[in-house]
Amino acid sequence: MITINPNKCVGCLNCLYECSFTQSGDFKAENANIRISCFTEESFCIPFTCVQCSKAWCMDVCPANAMSRNQETGAVEIDQHRCIGCKMCMMACPTGSIHFDTQTRVSSKCDLCGGDPSCVKHCISGALKFEDESKAFEYKQTNIDNQMKQLLKTR
Amino acid sequence: MSQREIVTTLCRMCDDHCAIDVSLEDGIIVDIQGQENHPWNQGRTCTKARAAIDMVYHPDRLKKPLKRTVDGWQEIELETALDEIADKIRKIQSKYGDRSMTVWKGEATGFNQQEELAKRFCQAMGSPNYLSVDSLCFTTRYLGYTLQYGAWTAPDLENSDCILLWGTNPPTSHPFMTRMVMDAKEKGAKLIVMDPRLSMIGRTADIRVPLKAGTDGAFAWGLIHLFIKNKWADQKWLDQYTVGYSKFAKYAKKFTPEFTAAECGIPVETILQVAEMMHLSSPKVSNYVGNGLEHYQNGLNNVRAISCLDVLTGSFDEKGGNILTESLGANDLALYNEVPLDHLEPIGAKKFPVLYKLRHENNTMTALDTMISDDPYPIKGMILTAGNPIRTNPNAKKVKEALESLDLLVVRDIFMNECCEIADYILPAATFLERTDIETTRNYQVVSLRQKVIEFPECQDEYQFYHDMAQRLGFGKYFPWKDEPELTSWLLEPTGISMEDLKNHPEGIQYKPIRYRKWEEGDLASPTGKVELTSDFLKSHGNDELPVYIAPEFIARPDPRFPFTLITGARKLLYFHSRNHNIPRFKEAIPIPELEIHPEDAESLNLKDGDNIEITSRIGSVTMPLKIMASNEILKGHLQAPSGWKDNNVNLLTHDDILDPISGYPLLKGVMVNISKVADDVQYLVD
Repeated sequence: MITINPNKCVGCLNCLYECSFTQSGDFKAENANIRISCFTEESFCIPFTCVQCSKAWCMDVCPANAMSRNQETGAVEIDQHRCIGCKMCMMACPTGSIHFDTQTRVSSKCDLCGGDPSCVKHCISGALKFEDESKAFEYKQTNIDNQMKQLLKTR
Repeated sequence: MSQREIVTTLCRMCDDHCAIDVSLEDGIIVDIQGQENHPWNQGRTCTKARAAIDMVYHPDRLKKPLKRTVDGWQEIELETALDEIADKIRKIQSKYGDRSMTVWKGEATGFNQQEELAKRFCQAMGSPNYLSVDSLCFTTRYLGYTLQYGAWTAPDLENSDCILLWGTNPPTSHPFMTRMVMDAKEKGAKLIVMDPRLSMIGRTADIRVPLKAGTDGAFAWGLIHLFIKNKWADQKWLDQYTVGYSKFAKYAKKFTPEFTAAECGIPVETILQVAEMMHLSSPKVSNYVGNGLEHYQNGLNNVRAISCLDVLTGSFDEKGGNILTESLGANDLALYNEVPLDHLEPIGAKKFPVLYKLRHENNTMTALDTMISDDPYPIKGMILTAGNPIRTNPNAKKVKEALESLDLLVVRDIFMNECCEIADYILPAATFLERTDIETTRNYQVVSLRQKVIEFPECQDEYQFYHDMAQRLGFGKYFPWKDEPELTSWLLEPTGISMEDLKNHPEGIQYKPIRYRKWEEGDLASPTGKVELTSDFLKSHGNDELPVYIAPEFIARPDPRFPFTLITGARKLLYFHSRNHNIPRFKEAIPIPELEIHPEDAESLNLKDGDNIEITSRIGSVTMPLKIMASNEILKGHLQAPSGWKDNNVNLLTHDDILDPISGYPLLKGVMVNISKVADDVQYLVD
């Protein structure tokens, strides 16, 4: 899965540009399947893209049966030819990670680029990683250990 | 079936030199991705790397030599062009002397090997007048650190507990330094960012220090003051390994937190917090100074003051501090001993002797003046390679005038630009994908190979051009290698690493393991062999021995006609200096340059987002649309305008006569300006 560590995100937009380029050959935010929200006053940026839910509501709700799980990559993919553009998946998605492509008039979402996501390969800070689900939460342990270290050091 | 192959080489879309896997189909580049195992970029790249494909196959690419005629540009054969240029160089040199020719090396070919070739050619041609982008970038920092330590240290970011970034935004200038900073932060390191603007990296800082432009030196002295006052430094170490400590400590006295805070325009608590954070993290404190600090009148001494922090935190050549990296030990292309030319009055050497003695760089601002005045002697010809000083040097109008005054201007480039437009000959140059050279990644002491991936028949690489010109001008003996791979093999000879080894190791080869505390092993490369808190060398050249702080002009002598302080040249991710503006998707993403302003300043002048603004300095004016920032993104009274845009060239505003007295660097930041709204019916130009 693509994991996101907002603490490392600098809001450089490399991921967004490259996602758009991979999808549509341009550098438009509206064509990217990843979004970056920057909160300037709070000095904080959050990248967000589909987390490929194990129980994918978007897939369950699709009336056209246009969505399926790629068994190899684990990605939930949209069959552009089957999609009827009803936007049910967009409503069902709990994280707002599906958008409507105004050119093709169908839904669009992250498909993990076939197992080698372009956003991750162009993330310069390391905020985005493509890793095994079992590894994805290790950072929590590392974080707490480091915080303890700092606390004990400054005591 | 089409033939697909992958060649690993190094990117040069910026100065990060990421290792890249270039995919070719039937000899045409179809994809560029990060090389998995190189320690610098670890399989990733920024978005500029893949755009190299657009650059090399761009329809506007120069592919034939051009000669200026009364009827306009005329295509000529490469050999004819080189013959004619050689003939003209001979005529100029016999009429005005060898020193009347010069080589100007821009940023786009890179440094190290390419830079040394240009210097070698200039020297072999008998001219001590080598000009380059080093008059604007890198050298102030190089000199600042070299004067104290005998070398410029590298920040050991990944092992650091406290990182200080001064006037730099790695995400746009050195993308993969971002990863190093973030990895350290993940392990618990604190990040402190000094910048009048809230940059991308500033968003992640533990402490932001939004100090006034050019006051970094005062801030550094404020920190020095606290380290000395609180006796946080290792006095025994200082006594043993430094010179000038008592004068240094005496000078620090006046930089009390109150004085420093007032000078920098920050709260007193900020300086106390930063000092304490550094103290708690000592010796794992690393400092990195960016190009931003170089463009001030007191730039060099500001850098020197910052460098002194390393001995106070004990981080000098310590793990997690700032390390004296070791060089590869390759053969040297310099000809200064074989062809000594110092007696020929190198331009700028008298005015900026430290710059000339330590870098063999002739100050470009002085050289441009010389071209116009012929004083002390005429400069009549120039080979300009991979640079566009009309866009990147200060006082653009004068740069153009100076270049136009030459009898011969030869420009080697890959696209038409303002300098090509006034040239006598334009030679199509090779891009980084069309040449072979070696690069070292200092932080890891790794050497990697850049290898030729494709070629275009008449687009010569730098070596081939210098080689062919040298043959024609009668000093071919200095360029004996058949081609760039043969030259590169020769350079590698003393290292025990061969071209073949490098080809077999796309991840690069570590040439020496990283070692710390090398000051224990013997003298430093500074004149006294110690850390020079005071420099006799500088004193003997009429400069202050201490890294004194002098307030920028806009603070010391404000001028009511120019109430705003303009910072120029904050980097944009997609553009690199004047490059990449012709890549359509880049242009779509960042279509125009924008003048950044604090919301209260905009409100007081009744200006709105997107208004066309005329910016005026003492020497010129330029127009740009306005962008009103959030109140924490830029200091009140400060403005920021990006550089590198053709029709909105900020260097029409910047000064070539306000120079750092030691390094000769021009004032590109902290420029005093005024702004006014342009009537709505006047269209601003966008290139």
